Amino acid sequence: MTDLFQYVPGNSPLHRMNPVTKIFLTLCICVAAFLTDNLFFLLFLLAFDLLIGVVAGAARKAFTIFRGLVKVSLFLFVLQALFVRRGNRLFWIITDEGLLTAASVVLRLLVVCLPLALVLTVTQVSDIANAMVQVLHVPYAYAFTLTTAIRFIPQFMEEMSGIMEAQTARGVEFDSKNFVKKLGMLLPLCTPLLISSVRRTGATATAAEVRGFDLRTRTSGYKRYGFGLIDLAALIVSAALIAGAVLIS
Amino acid sequence: MIELQSLTFRYAGSDRDALSDLTLTIPDGAFVGVIGPAGAGKTTFAHCLSGIVPHAVRGDFYGAVRVDGMDTADTRLTDLSRLVGTVFQDVESQIISSVVEDELLYGLENFGVPREEIEERLAFALEEVGIAPLRHRSIASLSGGQRQKVAIASLVALRPRILVLDEPTGELDPSSSRQIFSLLRRLNREYGMTVVVVEQKIMLLCEFAERLLVLSEGRVARDGSVREVLGDIEGLEAIGVNCPRSARFSALLGEKTGREIPVCVNAEEAVEAARRVIG
Repeated sequence: MTDLFQYVPGNSPLHRMNPVTKIFLTLCICVAAFLTDNLFFLLFLLAFDLLIGVVAGAARKAFTIFRGLVKVSLFLFVLQALFVRRGNRLFWIITDEGLLTAASVVLRLLVVCLPLALVLTVTQVSDIANAMVQVLHVPYAYAFTLTTAIRFIPQFMEEMSGIMEAQTARGVEFDSKNFVKKLGMLLPLCTPLLISSVRRTGATATAAEVRGFDLRTRTSGYKRYGFGLIDLAALIVSAALIAGAVLIS
Repeated sequence: MIELQSLTFRYAGSDRDALSDLTLTIPDGAFVGVIGPAGAGKTTFAHCLSGIVPHAVRGDFYGAVRVDGMDTADTRLTDLSRLVGTVFQDVESQIISSVVEDELLYGLENFGVPREEIEERLAFALEEVGIAPLRHRSIASLSGGQRQKVAIASLVALRPRILVLDEPTGELDPSSSRQIFSLLRRLNREYGMTVVVVEQKIMLLCEFAERLLVLSEGRVARDGSVREVLGDIEGLEAIGVNCPRSARFSALLGEKTGREIPVCVNAEEAVEAARRVIG
Protein backbone atom coordinates (compact mmCIF):
# COMPACT_ATOMS: atom_id res chain seq x y z
CA MET A 1 0.00 0.00 0.00
CA THR A 2 2.73 2.45 0.99
CA ASP A 3 4.77 1.87 -2.14
CA LEU A 4 1.79 2.99 -4.22
CA PHE A 5 2.68 6.54 -3.26
CA GLN A 6 6.41 5.97 -3.43
CA TYR A 7 8.51 7.95 -5.87
CA VAL A 8 10.37 5.89 -8.46
CA PRO A 9 13.51 7.65 -9.70
CA GLY A 10 13.97 7.94 -13.44
CA ASN A 11 14.73 10.25 -16.33
CA SER A 12 11.63 9.91 -18.51
CA PRO A 13 10.04 12.98 -20.13
CA LEU A 14 7.48 12.88 -17.34
CA HIS A 15 10.18 12.97 -14.70
CA ARG A 16 11.68 16.04 -16.35
CA MET A 17 8.37 17.85 -16.71
CA ASN A 18 7.68 20.77 -14.37
CA PRO A 19 5.69 19.48 -11.36
CA VAL A 20 3.09 22.18 -11.88
CA THR A 21 2.55 21.02 -15.47
CA LYS A 22 2.11 17.46 -14.25
CA ILE A 23 -0.53 18.51 -11.75
CA PHE A 24 -2.25 20.58 -14.45
CA LEU A 25 -2.27 17.67 -16.89
CA THR A 26 -3.68 15.40 -14.21
CA LEU A 27 -6.41 17.86 -13.37
CA CYS A 28 -7.25 18.24 -17.06
CA ILE A 29 -7.65 14.48 -17.40
CA CYS A 30 -10.00 14.52 -14.39
CA VAL A 31 -12.02 17.44 -15.76
CA ALA A 32 -12.23 15.82 -19.19
CA ALA A 33 -13.50 12.61 -17.57
CA PHE A 34 -16.29 14.48 -15.84
CA LEU A 35 -17.21 16.60 -18.87
CA THR A 36 -17.96 13.64 -21.10
CA ASP A 37 -20.56 10.91 -20.93
CA ASN A 38 -19.24 9.14 -23.97
CA LEU A 39 -18.02 5.68 -23.00
CA PHE A 40 -15.60 5.49 -25.93
CA PHE A 41 -13.98 8.75 -24.98
CA LEU A 42 -13.64 7.50 -21.39
CA LEU A 43 -12.02 4.35 -22.73
CA PHE A 44 -9.69 6.53 -24.78
CA LEU A 45 -8.78 8.49 -21.63
CA LEU A 46 -8.09 5.25 -19.80
CA ALA A 47 -5.79 4.13 -22.60
CA PHE A 48 -4.10 7.54 -22.43
CA ASP A 49 -3.54 7.06 -18.66
CA LEU A 50 -1.90 3.70 -19.26
CA LEU A 51 0.20 5.22 -22.05
CA ILE A 52 1.42 7.85 -19.57
CA GLY A 53 2.42 5.03 -17.24
CA VAL A 54 4.39 3.39 -20.07
CA VAL A 55 6.11 6.66 -21.05
CA ALA A 56 6.98 7.26 -17.39
CA GLY A 57 8.75 3.91 -17.34
CA ALA A 58 6.32 2.75 -14.69
CA ALA A 59 4.22 0.44 -16.85
CA ARG A 60 4.22 -2.38 -14.34
CA LYS A 61 3.20 -0.07 -11.54
CA ALA A 62 0.47 1.49 -13.65
CA PHE A 63 -0.97 -1.94 -14.36
CA THR A 64 -0.71 -2.97 -10.70
CA ILE A 65 -2.69 0.10 -9.68
CA PHE A 66 -5.08 -0.60 -12.55
CA ARG A 67 -5.68 -4.16 -11.37
CA GLY A 68 -6.26 -2.97 -7.80
CA LEU A 69 -8.74 -0.38 -8.98
CA VAL A 70 -10.58 -2.89 -11.17
CA LYS A 71 -11.41 -4.93 -8.06
CA VAL A 72 -12.96 -1.91 -6.36
CA SER A 73 -14.65 -0.99 -9.62
CA LEU A 74 -16.40 -4.36 -9.99
CA PHE A 75 -18.00 -3.86 -6.60
CA LEU A 76 -19.02 -0.32 -7.53
CA PHE A 77 -20.35 -1.51 -10.89
CA VAL A 78 -22.64 -4.10 -9.30
CA LEU A 79 -23.94 -1.56 -6.78
CA GLN A 80 -24.64 1.04 -9.46
CA ALA A 81 -26.32 -1.49 -11.71
CA LEU A 82 -28.57 -2.64 -8.85
CA PHE A 83 -29.58 0.77 -7.62
CA VAL A 84 -30.24 2.76 -10.79
CA ARG A 85 -33.95 2.32 -11.42
CA ARG A 86 -34.43 4.31 -14.62
CA GLY A 87 -34.47 3.04 -18.20
CA ASN A 88 -35.79 -0.20 -19.72
CA ARG A 89 -35.61 -3.41 -17.76
CA LEU A 90 -33.21 -5.89 -19.31
CA PHE A 91 -33.42 -8.77 -16.85
CA TRP A 92 -34.32 -9.16 -13.14
CA ILE A 93 -33.96 -5.60 -11.77
CA ILE A 94 -31.17 -4.56 -14.09
CA THR A 95 -31.94 -1.74 -16.56
CA ASP A 96 -30.05 -0.60 -19.65
CA GLU A 97 -29.52 2.84 -18.19
CA GLY A 98 -28.30 1.28 -14.97
CA LEU A 99 -25.63 -0.61 -16.86
CA LEU A 100 -24.58 2.48 -18.81
CA THR A 101 -24.39 4.65 -15.69
CA ALA A 102 -22.45 1.95 -13.87
CA ALA A 103 -20.00 1.65 -16.74
CA SER A 104 -19.36 5.38 -16.94
CA VAL A 105 -18.99 5.76 -13.16
CA VAL A 106 -16.48 2.94 -13.03
CA LEU A 107 -14.55 4.21 -16.05
CA ARG A 108 -14.42 7.69 -14.56
CA LEU A 109 -13.07 6.29 -11.31
CA LEU A 110 -10.31 4.49 -13.19
CA VAL A 111 -9.49 7.45 -15.40
CA VAL A 112 -9.25 9.83 -12.45
CA CYS A 113 -7.39 7.64 -9.95
CA LEU A 114 -4.65 6.36 -12.24
CA PRO A 115 -2.95 9.66 -13.11
CA LEU A 116 -3.21 10.88 -9.50
CA ALA A 117 -1.28 7.82 -8.37
CA LEU A 118 1.14 8.11 -11.29
CA VAL A 119 2.00 11.73 -10.51
CA LEU A 120 3.42 10.62 -7.18
CA THR A 121 5.40 7.89 -8.94
CA VAL A 122 7.22 10.34 -11.20
CA THR A 123 7.44 13.35 -8.86
CA GLN A 124 8.89 13.83 -5.40
CA VAL A 125 6.28 15.30 -3.11
CA SER A 126 8.81 17.93 -2.05
CA ASP A 127 9.17 18.98 -5.70
CA ILE A 128 5.40 19.33 -6.04
CA ALA A 129 5.31 21.46 -2.89
CA ASN A 130 8.34 23.58 -3.80
CA ALA A 131 7.12 24.17 -7.33
CA MET A 132 3.68 25.15 -6.09
CA VAL A 133 5.28 27.67 -3.76
CA GLN A 134 7.68 29.00 -6.40
CA VAL A 135 5.50 29.00 -9.50
CA LEU A 136 1.95 29.27 -8.20
CA HIS A 137 2.77 31.43 -5.14
CA VAL A 138 1.01 28.99 -2.81
CA PRO A 139 1.78 29.98 0.82
CA TYR A 140 4.55 27.78 2.18
CA ALA A 141 2.52 26.67 5.21
CA TYR A 142 0.07 24.84 2.90
CA ALA A 143 2.84 23.21 0.94
CA PHE A 144 4.45 22.14 4.21
CA THR A 145 1.18 20.54 5.32
CA LEU A 146 1.11 18.49 2.13
CA THR A 147 4.71 17.27 2.35
CA THR A 148 4.41 16.49 6.04
CA ALA A 149 1.21 14.52 5.54
CA ILE A 150 2.85 12.37 2.86
CA ARG A 151 6.03 12.02 4.91
CA PHE A 152 4.04 10.75 7.89
CA ILE A 153 2.31 7.90 6.01
CA PRO A 154 5.22 5.43 6.18
CA GLN A 155 5.93 6.57 9.72
CA PHE A 156 2.39 5.78 10.86
CA MET A 157 2.67 2.38 9.21
CA GLU A 158 5.90 1.70 11.11
CA GLU A 159 4.39 2.86 14.35
CA MET A 160 1.28 0.78 13.79
CA SER A 161 3.24 -2.39 13.15
CA GLY A 162 5.41 -1.57 16.17
CA ILE A 163 2.37 -1.37 18.44
CA MET A 164 0.93 -4.54 16.91
CA GLU A 165 4.17 -6.42 17.51
CA ALA A 166 4.27 -5.19 21.09
CA GLN A 167 0.73 -6.43 21.64
CA THR A 168 1.35 -9.71 19.82
CA ALA A 169 4.28 -10.29 22.16
CA ARG A 170 1.85 -10.00 25.03
CA GLY A 171 -0.56 -12.55 23.63
CA VAL A 172 -2.97 -10.61 21.39
CA GLU A 173 -3.83 -12.86 18.44
CA PHE A 174 -3.76 -10.52 15.47
CA ASP A 175 -3.58 -13.51 13.13
CA SER A 176 -7.11 -14.55 14.07
CA LYS A 177 -9.29 -15.46 11.08
CA ASN A 178 -12.48 -14.08 12.62
CA PHE A 179 -13.01 -10.70 10.99
CA VAL A 180 -15.19 -9.22 13.75
CA LYS A 181 -12.77 -10.39 16.43
CA LYS A 182 -9.88 -8.89 14.50
CA LEU A 183 -11.69 -5.57 14.17
CA GLY A 184 -12.27 -5.57 17.91
CA MET A 185 -8.56 -6.06 18.47
CA LEU A 186 -7.60 -3.28 16.08
CA LEU A 187 -9.69 -0.65 17.83
CA PRO A 188 -7.55 -0.50 21.00
CA LEU A 189 -4.57 0.26 18.73
CA CYS A 190 -6.01 3.64 17.86
CA THR A 191 -5.34 5.23 21.23
CA PRO A 192 -1.57 4.60 21.40
CA LEU A 193 -1.24 5.44 17.71
CA LEU A 194 -3.09 8.72 18.15
CA ILE A 195 -1.18 9.71 21.26
CA SER A 196 2.23 8.98 19.79
CA SER A 197 1.31 10.72 16.55
CA VAL A 198 0.11 13.88 18.25
CA ARG A 199 3.23 13.97 20.38
CA ARG A 200 5.41 13.46 17.33
CA THR A 201 3.59 16.19 15.41
CA GLY A 202 4.41 18.69 18.15
CA ALA A 203 8.05 17.68 18.13
CA THR A 204 8.26 17.92 14.34
CA ALA A 205 6.75 21.40 14.45
CA THR A 206 9.48 22.43 16.89
CA ALA A 207 12.12 20.81 14.68
CA ALA A 208 10.86 22.82 11.71
CA GLU A 209 10.83 26.00 13.75
CA VAL A 210 14.42 25.64 14.94
CA ARG A 211 15.49 25.21 11.35
CA GLY A 212 13.97 28.44 10.18
CA PHE A 213 10.41 27.50 9.18
CA ASP A 214 9.29 31.08 9.80
CA LEU A 215 12.02 32.54 7.59
CA ARG A 216 11.10 30.61 4.48
CA THR A 217 9.89 32.69 1.56
CA ARG A 218 8.78 31.93 -1.98
CA THR A 219 12.32 32.19 -3.31
CA SER A 220 14.01 30.17 -0.55
CA GLY A 221 14.01 26.90 -2.50
CA TYR A 222 17.39 25.79 -3.82
CA LYS A 223 15.98 23.85 -6.76
CA ARG A 224 14.52 25.88 -9.61
CA TYR A 225 11.54 24.69 -11.62
CA GLY A 226 11.61 25.97 -15.18
CA PHE A 227 9.30 25.35 -18.13
CA GLY A 228 10.52 23.66 -21.30
CA LEU A 229 9.27 22.27 -24.60
CA ILE A 230 7.95 19.20 -22.87
CA ASP A 231 5.75 21.38 -20.69
CA LEU A 232 4.42 23.14 -23.75
CA ALA A 233 3.61 19.77 -25.31
CA ALA A 234 1.78 18.72 -22.15
CA LEU A 235 -0.24 21.94 -22.18
CA ILE A 236 -1.32 21.31 -25.78
CA VAL A 237 -2.32 17.73 -24.92
CA SER A 238 -4.26 19.00 -21.89
CA ALA A 239 -6.14 21.51 -24.00
CA ALA A 240 -6.86 18.86 -26.63
CA LEU A 241 -8.30 16.51 -24.00
CA ILE A 242 -10.65 19.15 -22.64
CA ALA A 243 -11.69 20.24 -26.13
CA GLY A 244 -12.24 16.61 -27.11
CA ALA A 245 -14.40 16.00 -24.05
CA VAL A 246 -16.56 19.05 -24.76
CA LEU A 247 -16.93 18.31 -28.47
CA ILE A 248 -17.64 14.59 -28.21
CA SER A 249 -20.25 14.81 -25.46
CA MET B 1 29.08 32.29 25.21
CA ILE B 2 26.27 30.58 27.10
CA GLU B 3 25.44 31.69 30.62
CA LEU B 4 23.02 29.91 32.92
CA GLN B 5 21.91 31.81 35.97
CA SER B 6 20.01 29.99 38.73
CA LEU B 7 18.15 28.09 36.01
CA THR B 8 15.24 26.09 37.40
CA PHE B 9 12.65 24.30 35.28
CA ARG B 10 9.66 22.19 36.22
CA TYR B 11 7.52 20.49 33.56
CA ALA B 12 3.82 21.30 33.71
CA GLY B 13 2.09 18.62 35.76
CA SER B 14 5.29 17.37 37.38
CA ASP B 15 5.85 17.57 41.13
CA ARG B 16 9.60 17.98 41.04
CA ASP B 17 12.08 20.22 39.29
CA ALA B 18 13.70 18.74 36.19
CA LEU B 19 16.54 21.22 36.63
CA SER B 20 17.15 23.14 39.80
CA ASP B 21 19.35 26.13 40.35
CA LEU B 22 21.91 25.62 37.60
CA THR B 23 24.53 28.33 37.33
CA LEU B 24 27.38 27.87 34.90
CA THR B 25 29.10 29.38 31.90
CA ILE B 26 30.13 27.73 28.65
CA PRO B 27 32.71 29.89 26.86
CA ASP B 28 32.98 30.15 23.07
CA GLY B 29 34.85 27.30 21.46
CA ALA B 30 34.32 24.87 24.34
CA PHE B 31 33.72 21.15 23.88
CA VAL B 32 31.50 20.08 26.77
CA GLY B 33 30.26 16.57 27.47
CA VAL B 34 27.14 16.19 29.59
CA ILE B 35 26.52 12.92 31.38
CA GLY B 36 24.33 11.63 34.15
CA PRO B 37 21.93 8.80 35.03
CA ALA B 38 18.47 8.59 33.45
CA GLY B 39 16.18 11.32 34.72
CA ALA B 40 19.05 13.61 35.67
CA GLY B 41 17.76 16.39 33.42
CA LYS B 42 20.19 16.02 30.51
CA THR B 43 17.62 16.44 27.76
CA THR B 44 15.95 19.34 29.58
CA PHE B 45 19.39 20.93 29.89
CA ALA B 46 19.98 20.58 26.15
CA HIS B 47 16.52 22.02 25.41
CA CYS B 48 17.24 25.00 27.66
CA LEU B 49 20.39 25.86 25.73
CA SER B 50 18.56 25.84 22.41
CA GLY B 51 15.52 27.73 23.71
CA ILE B 52 13.07 24.89 23.13
CA VAL B 53 12.53 25.24 26.87
CA PRO B 54 10.67 27.52 27.56
CA HIS B 55 9.39 28.30 24.04
CA ALA B 56 7.98 24.95 22.95
CA VAL B 57 7.62 23.13 26.28
CA ARG B 58 5.16 24.09 28.96
CA GLY B 59 6.31 24.42 32.55
CA ASP B 60 7.67 26.78 35.20
CA PHE B 61 10.89 28.47 34.15
CA TYR B 62 12.97 30.47 36.63
CA GLY B 63 16.36 32.08 36.31
CA ALA B 64 17.92 32.92 32.97
CA VAL B 65 19.77 31.43 30.04
CA ARG B 66 21.73 33.87 27.93
CA VAL B 67 23.26 32.96 24.60
CA ASP B 68 25.64 35.64 23.37
CA GLY B 69 23.95 38.01 25.76
CA MET B 70 20.45 37.27 24.42
CA ASP B 71 17.97 36.04 27.00
CA THR B 72 16.47 32.87 25.53
CA ALA B 73 13.10 33.56 27.12
CA ASP B 74 12.80 36.93 25.34
CA THR B 75 14.28 35.92 22.00
CA ARG B 76 12.29 34.23 19.24
CA LEU B 77 13.13 30.55 18.74
CA THR B 78 13.85 31.31 15.08
CA ASP B 79 16.44 33.95 15.97
CA LEU B 80 18.03 31.70 18.55
CA SER B 81 18.26 28.85 16.10
CA ARG B 82 20.50 30.90 13.81
CA LEU B 83 23.04 30.70 16.61
CA VAL B 84 22.32 27.38 18.29
CA GLY B 85 21.81 24.20 16.27
CA THR B 86 20.12 21.27 17.97
CA VAL B 87 20.17 17.55 17.22
CA PHE B 88 17.25 15.95 19.02
CA GLN B 89 17.35 12.69 20.88
CA ASP B 90 14.27 11.47 19.01
CA VAL B 91 15.59 11.38 15.47
CA GLU B 92 12.21 10.52 13.96
CA SER B 93 10.60 13.74 15.10
CA GLN B 94 13.51 15.83 13.92
CA ILE B 95 13.30 14.71 10.30
CA ILE B 96 11.03 16.89 8.20
CA SER B 97 11.58 15.79 4.61
CA SER B 98 11.15 12.54 2.73
CA VAL B 99 14.51 12.55 0.97
CA VAL B 100 18.01 12.86 2.46
CA GLU B 101 19.07 15.73 0.22
CA ASP B 102 15.92 17.74 0.99
CA GLU B 103 16.44 17.25 4.70
CA LEU B 104 19.88 18.83 4.48
CA LEU B 105 18.65 21.58 2.19
CA TYR B 106 15.79 22.54 4.49
CA GLY B 107 17.71 24.63 7.00
CA LEU B 108 20.15 25.95 4.38
CA GLU B 109 17.30 27.28 2.25
CA ASN B 110 15.43 28.80 5.18
CA PHE B 111 18.38 30.58 6.69
CA GLY B 112 19.19 32.08 3.32
CA VAL B 113 22.61 30.51 2.75
CA PRO B 114 23.91 31.83 -0.62
CA ARG B 115 23.22 29.44 -3.51
CA GLU B 116 26.86 29.05 -4.48
CA GLU B 117 27.72 27.95 -0.95
CA ILE B 118 24.95 25.39 -0.59
CA GLU B 119 26.43 22.62 -2.73
CA GLU B 120 29.78 22.79 -0.95
CA ARG B 121 28.14 22.63 2.49
CA LEU B 122 25.88 19.77 1.43
CA ALA B 123 28.78 17.75 0.10
CA PHE B 124 30.90 18.48 3.18
CA ALA B 125 28.19 17.40 5.64
CA LEU B 126 27.29 14.24 3.70
CA GLU B 127 30.92 13.26 3.29
CA GLU B 128 32.03 13.93 6.85
CA VAL B 129 29.07 12.15 8.43
CA GLY B 130 29.65 9.26 6.05
CA ILE B 131 26.34 9.22 4.18
CA ALA B 132 27.38 10.57 0.76
CA PRO B 133 25.98 7.47 -1.03
CA LEU B 134 22.58 8.01 0.60
CA ARG B 135 22.08 11.52 -0.83
CA HIS B 136 19.10 10.72 -3.07
CA ARG B 137 17.59 7.96 -0.94
CA SER B 138 14.17 8.18 0.61
CA ILE B 139 14.39 8.52 4.38
CA ALA B 140 11.68 5.90 4.95
CA SER B 141 14.07 3.33 3.45
CA LEU B 142 16.93 4.07 5.88
CA SER B 143 17.85 2.27 9.09
CA GLY B 144 17.70 3.96 12.49
CA GLY B 145 21.44 4.60 12.52
CA GLN B 146 21.41 6.05 9.01
CA ARG B 147 18.54 8.36 9.95
CA GLN B 148 20.50 9.55 12.95
CA LYS B 149 23.40 10.42 10.67
CA VAL B 150 21.04 12.34 8.39
CA ALA B 151 19.79 14.34 11.38
CA ILE B 152 23.37 15.15 12.40
CA ALA B 153 24.41 16.02 8.85
CA SER B 154 21.48 18.43 8.47
CA LEU B 155 22.79 20.42 11.43
CA VAL B 156 26.44 20.15 10.43
CA ALA B 157 25.57 21.66 7.05
CA LEU B 158 24.11 24.69 8.84
CA ARG B 159 27.36 25.35 10.72
CA PRO B 160 25.79 27.06 13.72
CA ARG B 161 28.13 28.82 16.15
CA ILE B 162 26.90 26.54 18.92
CA LEU B 163 25.92 22.92 18.34
CA VAL B 164 23.90 21.06 20.97
CA LEU B 165 23.50 17.31 20.48
CA ASP B 166 21.30 15.07 22.60
CA GLU B 167 22.65 11.50 22.51
CA PRO B 168 23.72 11.77 18.87
CA THR B 169 25.17 8.26 18.79
CA GLY B 170 22.28 6.46 20.49
CA GLU B 171 21.59 4.29 17.44
CA LEU B 172 25.08 4.14 16.00
CA ASP B 173 27.64 1.34 15.99
CA PRO B 174 30.98 1.98 17.75
CA SER B 175 32.92 2.96 14.64
CA SER B 176 30.24 5.39 13.40
CA SER B 177 30.06 6.86 16.89
CA ARG B 178 33.78 7.57 16.79
CA GLN B 179 33.43 9.06 13.33
CA ILE B 180 30.75 11.47 14.60
CA PHE B 181 32.86 12.49 17.58
CA SER B 182 35.92 13.02 15.38
CA LEU B 183 33.81 15.27 13.19
CA LEU B 184 32.61 17.20 16.24
CA ARG B 185 36.19 17.69 17.31
CA ARG B 186 37.11 18.94 13.86
CA LEU B 187 34.19 21.39 13.80
CA ASN B 188 35.22 22.52 17.24
CA ARG B 189 38.87 23.05 16.35
CA GLU B 190 38.71 24.23 12.74
CA TYR B 191 35.54 26.30 12.84
CA GLY B 192 35.65 27.29 16.51
CA MET B 193 32.19 25.81 16.95
CA THR B 194 31.05 25.44 20.54
CA VAL B 195 29.95 21.83 21.03
CA VAL B 196 27.73 20.62 23.87
CA VAL B 197 26.99 16.92 23.67
CA VAL B 198 24.77 14.85 25.94
CA GLU B 199 26.02 11.29 25.77
CA GLN B 200 25.80 8.01 27.64
CA LYS B 201 29.01 6.59 26.18
CA ILE B 202 31.47 7.93 28.72
CA MET B 203 34.51 6.48 26.94
CA LEU B 204 33.82 8.69 23.93
CA LEU B 205 33.17 11.74 26.06
CA CYS B 206 36.40 11.26 27.98
CA GLU B 207 38.36 10.95 24.81
CA PHE B 208 36.90 13.90 22.91
CA ALA B 209 35.39 16.37 25.37
CA GLU B 210 37.52 18.89 27.23
CA ARG B 211 35.05 19.50 29.98
CA LEU B 212 32.65 17.11 31.67
CA LEU B 213 29.42 18.18 33.27
CA VAL B 214 27.79 15.54 35.45
CA LEU B 215 24.11 16.07 36.18
CA SER B 216 22.24 14.30 38.94
CA GLU B 217 18.65 14.91 39.93
CA GLY B 218 18.55 18.20 38.07
CA ARG B 219 21.67 19.63 39.67
CA VAL B 220 25.29 19.95 38.63
CA ALA B 221 27.02 17.15 40.52
CA ARG B 222 30.47 17.61 38.96
CA ASP B 223 31.88 20.17 36.57
CA GLY B 224 35.48 20.27 35.46
CA SER B 225 38.05 18.94 33.06
CA VAL B 226 37.72 15.27 32.18
CA ARG B 227 40.66 14.35 34.43
CA GLU B 228 39.33 16.34 37.38
CA VAL B 229 35.94 14.72 37.18
CA LEU B 230 37.30 11.21 36.72
CA GLY B 231 39.50 11.72 39.77
CA ASP B 232 36.57 10.85 42.01
CA ILE B 233 35.45 7.43 40.81
CA GLU B 234 33.55 6.50 43.94
CA GLY B 235 31.62 9.75 43.89
CA LEU B 236 30.67 9.22 40.25
CA GLU B 237 29.57 5.64 40.79
CA ALA B 238 27.43 6.74 43.74
CA ILE B 239 25.64 9.15 41.37
CA GLY B 240 25.14 6.33 38.88
CA VAL B 241 27.79 7.14 36.27
CA ASN B 242 30.10 4.34 35.20
CA CYS B 243 33.71 5.35 34.79
CA PRO B 244 35.94 4.14 31.96
CA ARG B 245 37.97 1.10 32.93
CA SER B 246 41.21 2.97 32.32
CA ALA B 247 40.27 5.47 35.06
CA ARG B 248 39.31 2.69 37.43
CA PHE B 249 42.56 0.93 36.62
CA SER B 250 44.69 4.00 37.40
CA ALA B 251 42.82 4.59 40.66
CA LEU B 252 43.29 0.97 41.70
CA LEU B 253 46.94 1.08 40.70
CA GLY B 254 47.47 4.14 42.90
CA GLU B 255 45.65 2.51 45.80
CA LYS B 256 47.62 -0.78 45.64
CA THR B 257 51.05 0.73 45.10
CA GLY B 258 50.57 3.78 47.29
CA ARG B 259 51.98 5.93 44.51
CA GLU B 260 50.57 9.05 42.90
CA ILE B 261 49.13 7.81 39.59
CA PRO B 262 47.58 10.40 37.23
CA VAL B 263 44.05 9.62 36.01
CA CYS B 264 44.13 7.62 32.78
CA VAL B 265 41.41 8.50 30.29
CA ASN B 266 42.23 5.87 27.67
CA ALA B 267 43.91 2.50 27.25
CA GLU B 268 47.23 3.93 26.02
CA GLU B 269 47.61 6.03 29.13
CA ALA B 270 46.75 3.03 31.32
CA VAL B 271 49.44 0.96 29.62
CA GLU B 272 51.93 3.77 30.09
CA ALA B 273 51.07 4.06 33.81
CA ALA B 274 51.42 0.32 34.32
CA ARG B 275 54.77 0.34 32.55
CA ARG B 276 56.05 3.09 34.82
CA VAL B 277 54.97 1.19 37.95
CA ILE B 278 56.60 -2.03 36.81
CA GLY B 279 59.68 0.00 36.10
